[in-house]
Amino acid sequence: MNKQDKIEQILQSLDVNQRALPPDFFYTRLKARMEREFNEDKKVRAWILRPAYALSVLVMVVVINALVILKSEDTRDISTNDTETAQSIAAEYSLNDNNVMYDLTSEK
Amino acid sequence: MNELELIQRLRTSDEAAFKFLVENYQDRVFNTAIGIVQNAEDAEDVAQEVFIQVFRSIHSFKAESKLSTWIYRITTTRALDHLRNRKSKKRFGLLQRLFGEGNETLYEVPDFNHPGVALDRKENAALLFKAIKQLPENQKIAFTLHKLEDLSYQEISEVMQTSVAAVESMMHRAKQNLKKMLTQGLEKKKKEDK
Repeated sequence: MNKQDKIEQILQSLDVNQRALPPDFFYTRLKARMEREFNEDKKVRAWILRPAYALSVLVMVVVINALVILKSEDTRDISTNDTETAQSIAAEYSLNDNNVMYDLTSEK
Repeated sequence: MNELELIQRLRTSDEAAFKFLVENYQDRVFNTAIGIVQNAEDAEDVAQEVFIQVFRSIHSFKAESKLSTWIYRITTTRALDHLRNRKSKKRFGLLQRLFGEGNETLYEVPDFNHPGVALDRKENAALLFKAIKQLPENQKIAFTLHKLEDLSYQEISEVMQTSVAAVESMMHRAKQNLKKMLTQGLEKKKKEDK
């Protein structure tokens, strides 16, 4: 047999075949797996819905929000202080005076 | 039980309807899965996942196509996911061997023997499955559905949600690729025998 014929024979080797069948009790094992997965889901959901857990999550959210609000107020205080410091320096060196009159008529 | 009635009963989580579905489709699902993953244990895992997915998402099945088309589509998708996971596990295993002690012996996967192939064709079928393993995903699906499930190009196009012309093209390229791989394989074997 030449190479081409051999390759054709290989390509046709699946032409007449029967289906591979699943092992016995496939449905039983499938049901067992579905029950297992359902029970695992139930455990996770039960845990999340526990009052203690739900309450602690709520408290954590409130605390985090409070911290964020307090931190933003601190930031506002700091920037007010900075402005006051800048103004006092400017006053010392008369940098705030913008209306200095220059006598352009006097002769030197 | 006709298809519409089956779908309606599945939507009510009717166990008898689900059992009917599994008993009527398990052969198709398992045969398709084993053709793609080429391992009986993995094929059973895939088949279980397919029926679980059907059970969970029957409400989203719009009945625009046949139930069998939808189930074939889920099967091929799940089987490909399984192959991709297997490949990434292998890559991780290789990294472990590179950075580990390197004392582990490399295990070579034996040739796949499809249980439904006649005895006189087993050797040739094993060579063919080895070559199918290396095909691109879409060619693998089209070729497997055609050869193992005897689906027409029209049916395959519905499963793969593409045109018949595209399926014809995939099959043509699959055969070309398989011939090339088989030729190389035979030449290699000839050299080894010498």
